[in-house]
Amino acid sequence: MASIDIDAPGTSQLFIGNEAIARGALEAGIGFAAAYPGTPSSEILGSLAAVAKKSGIYAEWSVNEKVAVEAAAGASFAGIRALAAMKQNGINVVSDFLANVVMSGTGKAGLVLISCDDPSAISSSNEQDTRPIAKWLDIPLVEPGDFQEAKDMTKWLFDLSEELGTLCMLRSVTRIAHARGNVKLGGLPRKEHKAYFEQLHDLKRVTPTTFMPVPSSIRHSFLHMKMDRAREKFELSPFNRYVGPDKAGLLIVTCGSCWLYSQDAVKALKLDDKVGILKLGTLWPLPEKFVAEYLNKSQNILVVEEIDPFLERSIMEMIANLPPSSPHPTFYGKRSGHLNAYGELNPDMVIKAIANILHISYQSRDIEYGRKAEAATKSYVPGRTLTFCPGCPHRATFWAIKNALKLDGRNGLVTGDIGCYSMALGPAGFFQLRTMHCMGAGSGVANGLGKLGQFGFNQPVLAVIGDSTFYHAGIPALINGIYNQSNFVLIILDNGGTAMTGFQPHPGTGMTAMGEPTKVVSMEALCRSLGARVELCDPFDFKSTTATLLEMMAEGGGAKVVIMRRECELVRSRKEKKPPYKVYVDPDKCIGEACGCDRLCTRVFQCPGLIWDKKAGKAKIDDVICTGCGVCADVCPQGAIIKEKT
Amino acid sequence: MAERTKGYKELFTEVIETGLCALCGACADGCPYLVYYKGRIVLLDNCTLSKGQCYEYCPRTYIDMDAISQQVFGVPYSEDEIGVTKEVFVARSTDAHIKEKAQYGGVVTTLLSLALTEGFIDSAILTKTSVDKVPTPFLAQNAEEVLQCTGSNYMACPVVARLNQVPRNDSNKLGVAAMPCQVLAITKMKKVPPENRVNISNVKLIVGLFCTWALSPDGFYQFLAKNLDLSQVEKFDVPPPPTNRFDVYTTSGKLSFSLEEIRQYALPTCAYCLDMTSEFADISVGSAEGVAGWNIVITRTDIGAELVKVAKAKKKIETDRLPSENLAHLKEAALLKKKRALNEIIKRTGSTDNLLYVRLSPRVIERLLEYKWIKR
Repeated sequence: MASIDIDAPGTSQLFIGNEAIARGALEAGIGFAAAYPGTPSSEILGSLAAVAKKSGIYAEWSVNEKVAVEAAAGASFAGIRALAAMKQNGINVVSDFLANVVMSGTGKAGLVLISCDDPSAISSSNEQDTRPIAKWLDIPLVEPGDFQEAKDMTKWLFDLSEELGTLCMLRSVTRIAHARGNVKLGGLPRKEHKAYFEQLHDLKRVTPTTFMPVPSSIRHSFLHMKMDRAREKFELSPFNRYVGPDKAGLLIVTCGSCWLYSQDAVKALKLDDKVGILKLGTLWPLPEKFVAEYLNKSQNILVVEEIDPFLERSIMEMIANLPPSSPHPTFYGKRSGHLNAYGELNPDMVIKAIANILHISYQSRDIEYGRKAEAATKSYVPGRTLTFCPGCPHRATFWAIKNALKLDGRNGLVTGDIGCYSMALGPAGFFQLRTMHCMGAGSGVANGLGKLGQFGFNQPVLAVIGDSTFYHAGIPALINGIYNQSNFVLIILDNGGTAMTGFQPHPGTGMTAMGEPTKVVSMEALCRSLGARVELCDPFDFKSTTATLLEMMAEGGGAKVVIMRRECELVRSRKEKKPPYKVYVDPDKCIGEACGCDRLCTRVFQCPGLIWDKKAGKAKIDDVICTGCGVCADVCPQGAIIKEKT
Repeated sequence: MAERTKGYKELFTEVIETGLCALCGACADGCPYLVYYKGRIVLLDNCTLSKGQCYEYCPRTYIDMDAISQQVFGVPYSEDEIGVTKEVFVARSTDAHIKEKAQYGGVVTTLLSLALTEGFIDSAILTKTSVDKVPTPFLAQNAEEVLQCTGSNYMACPVVARLNQVPRNDSNKLGVAAMPCQVLAITKMKKVPPENRVNISNVKLIVGLFCTWALSPDGFYQFLAKNLDLSQVEKFDVPPPPTNRFDVYTTSGKLSFSLEEIRQYALPTCAYCLDMTSEFADISVGSAEGVAGWNIVITRTDIGAELVKVAKAKKKIETDRLPSENLAHLKEAALLKKKRALNEIIKRTGSTDNLLYVRLSPRVIERLLEYKWIKR
């Protein structure tokens, strides 16, 4: 598959949606890209960073989404086209800046924000729809319906942003971001970027250039004027179109990946002559004239979109503004219950909705066949639970945490947040996590719990946070805990990278997005400088890790820090090739069910590398999966799991 | 019988949560789930086995005293206040070094040292007190290490847990210095040997200690830590009645607490214990009220008697007759403990047919009970 910087205008290349967006940015001549990793957005910056040096652009993994957009805005202010990308949750992080930068306006160069939403929260803590922020904060918003549009819209948004002087937003979803399709390429400008912050304002060249939201009332009215101009542009946008009969029994209004589902559904039902589809690419401000024109196609309107009824409500509002003589169609969609206002949609769901509205029956496949196909598929797929990888340091950490909390005996609890370690909600982390919200939330929540002593609260509080998350959102919470003397232990799970999203570097790694060595921002030095007691632990050393946790909990007092330092096993195994230990079960020592251990290794510890050999009635190492970390040797009470240095 | 299918759940509901746990350590470290930590038995993970050694060996679960006595001595549970005895006498160590460190006559230390050097045993499970006075089970391998364990701090210590840690294939002959509840646990282990862990037949010598109550290693320890610098403590002592004192000797002098104040930290389970003199041990040793600097020694089994014989022959201990009034006093104290315990048990169950964890012959119950106690 081609790199996003392939210089082959006119050719078609197979790109995932995120690469298409990155390509669009390159075709637009961006000079600056910043992002914080987050599924399903990570490949946008990842692919830009990979070609950044060659392409003469700058790309960075920022410490968080707020800094990413602020940094990109800085570039825009100095005349460099800039892009910032993030997953849906990142929009919340940057929302304060967004609310201000829409007022201040952008610089001479375009500023584009990409938000990748994750319907069904396949790899997220929530499935929020970020489109409403465009309406809330007055941001021009587009949503691509396929991979070509992902590229084309991105490129076009830079022009739009410059024309309007405001930040523009592209909303994508997982099935666009991560699915792959043909994209016809345009040319790459290959221009020399020249950055300069013009100190004097363009108009009279006497007042200084300022980017600020004040005076707010005036700025706000300017912003509304920009939005009116955006609407005018959107009325003519080729990203909005209608396909279908002149008079339709049903009009589908759709956007994003639902455009694909809608087409599939109409095709499957063979209703091309009865059902029309109005596909919208420019969602906010709504191109009202364009939409109104097509609303006449049918009395029945089904709005198909993911996740919230954003378009649905916007169109209803719009209709309320039409003259009284205008037709008043019947709306179907999320409000009517024909489609879910949660989770991903798919062609089947759209088919069901259409069939329901038009009172037709449709059987997508023979039920018996479906059942057989499902059973056949399942027979090839081994049952898997959400778990940590074999050799994962987090499993060892949560083992120590679980034991330390039990030994401590005061019913201590663990608060946490987003990362691989979120899986400690389940058996992988021995069900240890009690709270899990946004980035850094575990540390924040711990601040509150840790101050409840005056109300009789004496349960120890452990807040787990990933290394990247610590830099992203944990530091203020730690400072708060030290300043306000909140009694909790912050456990930083330092596995040496942003593991969950694909090992992106972070400030503690000494490496930039573009592969350059850089200063390491030492988390232990940082925490110590804040006045926290800091202990370093190797989670693979159960005994001392457990003892350290017990001692930290017993000590009480203000916030303190334990750093669990162990490289992510996936990273280690790539670097070192061979496992540290050869691990096997001594069949003479493992006495199976007779042991009285009640299969601690496979029932409780549950590393995927350990299997229970039903036939032999003993534990066994799955040599294919085992990474040779040797941790389970310390779990077996019989000493039957042997580790030998390789 | 039904009790045989009980496991950790019942251990918690019947023993630990009802305040009957003696912290002897019998349930701890025999599996990966139950461990002792700072005065508590902790369940690290749920176990799905319905039958557990944890329940089986607990000295506060089903015990048929006649059966246990038959197993150890070949006779039913004795009506004698201090159990089956061969000889009862007073003794003290001849080793000045031991005597100086010892609680009373230094007999336990001397006998165990001798047992080690004479090959009765290869190692001994004892209680060692850390610098900050936390009692911890300790496997002593030589006389020097035995000496490190001299003295008592009156706190419960999970000695049997250390026994559970000994690998099954370890063939060392073991001695144990144990409280009455611990002696009971080990005796239960001997009756139905653990299937896959400790080789209980390795336990060759049980030196039982006299005990009226043991203090909670959690509550008492915190009480002490609040009142004094524990690292300065040299010795604890409960001087004989009627002093009614608990003395703490520190590097800077003696501190005394009233016994009532201390006793509130005694484990609740001690009120239900019938055994003051470790009746199922090979030898039992305790303080000799009124004979300062001496121990009362009770030999009960052949190996116990043999060890004393060697000790005397090698002049490791000197012995003397226990004056009859002292013996009477000892028996009275032992009987009082039994009576109190039985009454507490009945107060709790409301019936002589249900004695919580213990089964006694009607004859013994009758003898121990003075009917006016029940009627009250």
